[in-house]
Amino acid sequence: MTHVLVVDDDPVIADLVAFRLSRLGLRITVETDGEAGLAAIRELRPDLVVLDWMMPRMNGLEVCRAVREDPDPALAGTPVLLLTAKAQEPDLERGFAAGATDFVTKPFSTRELVSRVTAALPAGSVPV
Amino acid sequence: MTTVAGVALALGVVLAGLVVVLLLAVGLQHRQRTRTQARDARRRAELMPTVHALLDDDGDDPAPGPHVTSAPALLDELVLDLLPQLRGSDRRALQRVLAARGVVDRAAADLTARAAWRRGRAATLLGSAAATDHTPALAACLTDRSADVRSAAARALGKAGDPASVTPLLVSLAGPRALPVGVVGMALLDLGTPVLPALRTALTEGSAPARALAAEVLGVHGDPLATPGLLALLRDRWQPTEVRRAAAAALGRIGSPQATAELTQLLATGPVPALQRVAAEALGRIGDPAGTTPLVSGLHATDPGVRAACADALAAIGDEGRGRLRVLAVGTSPAGRAALAALDAVATARQWRRPVTSR
Repeated sequence: MTHVLVVDDDPVIADLVAFRLSRLGLRITVETDGEAGLAAIRELRPDLVVLDWMMPRMNGLEVCRAVREDPDPALAGTPVLLLTAKAQEPDLERGFAAGATDFVTKPFSTRELVSRVTAALPAGSVPV
Repeated sequence: MTTVAGVALALGVVLAGLVVVLLLAVGLQHRQRTRTQARDARRRAELMPTVHALLDDDGDDPAPGPHVTSAPALLDELVLDLLPQLRGSDRRALQRVLAARGVVDRAAADLTARAAWRRGRAATLLGSAAATDHTPALAACLTDRSADVRSAAARALGKAGDPASVTPLLVSLAGPRALPVGVVGMALLDLGTPVLPALRTALTEGSAPARALAAEVLGVHGDPLATPGLLALLRDRWQPTEVRRAAAAALGRIGSPQATAELTQLLATGPVPALQRVAAEALGRIGDPAGTTPLVSGLHATDPGVRAACADALAAIGDEGRGRLRVLAVGTSPAGRAALAALDAVATARQWRRPVTSR
């Protein structure tokens, strides 16, 4: 079963995202800070990460960079979708430079999020 | 000595006791807050299935069910927290919930509350809830006795998205309780492109600040249909400088060569340097080669700001403009110095844009 890790320090948003993605038939794990998120990425090796940018202990960009710099190419290639209120052009540049696969900017639509997650996963990962 | 020592000891004991009591009070307060937060988090978690059900509907069902209307009051808080983070059908679903639970009606009633903070909160909530039924009540708050409430009402009108808000927002720019231009401008931008026709109409109505702001917002939207109205403002010598200036800047943003002749005229014969500067900047933005010769003439203006604006505009126009600058960028005349500075700025910008190939 395709596994998605949701990392967001806002429990309501994390729960909402997890619920919407679980409706796609995906397995979801939730973490609420960057450090725990990175540990979970290394341990659980999810197929995709939905990552908040502004979080305590370790922000989303730092997590993203750490994933991309991992010596294991499989882990370093994990798609990372940044979910953030930072929507200015320089923010997008910084996010992509850190290795983000795609962006969903807040305020966001859960339908758009589902579409972007589906597009970022390999074909056939999401049950029809 | 013994008495003094005894008093000091007693004071020390009392002080230590006070410190212990203070520490205990802080500890208890902290514990109480942690418990309250944990309880709220638990209650919110219990309400999440209701929120999931609300956002799960595929259509725009106008009537949330009884499970929504009878849910605890904490649901309102949860929805109000979520509202700014969501958009599209999710946002509309949450707005319907607020209306169905009477939150919107209560807020509308609070717009006339005695306390300013209640009126301000009510206005903010009505904006978040996109309660267009309450546009007249919110518009009335634009003249509230509290400046904070007036600003909250303006922001709320912008968020609520009713095009009928344009007129009261522009009216609020004048009078003894006038709102700051920045607050009204942001609200007009929040209203988006549906208000462009109303803004075009506003170019010929209302106060001078209203006409200037309407021109500015039309320019930000790059609305080509506003060009005739803006040109009329630019031609009208009886318009205040701020209005003609805003019109010139807007024409530059829209970028239509239709405006070149009028802007050239303003650059040559403008009554004040501020208008000549903005005319030059607009000509640079439009990039029409027909503006090159008048801009070269502008390099000999007496005002250094006008000279600099003309030089920058020539640099922006393209190869022809930069060619003319290179010819002029000799000697120490004011025009030559302005041309040289503009060419230097272009060179610096190019240097910054060059990709880094090695460290």
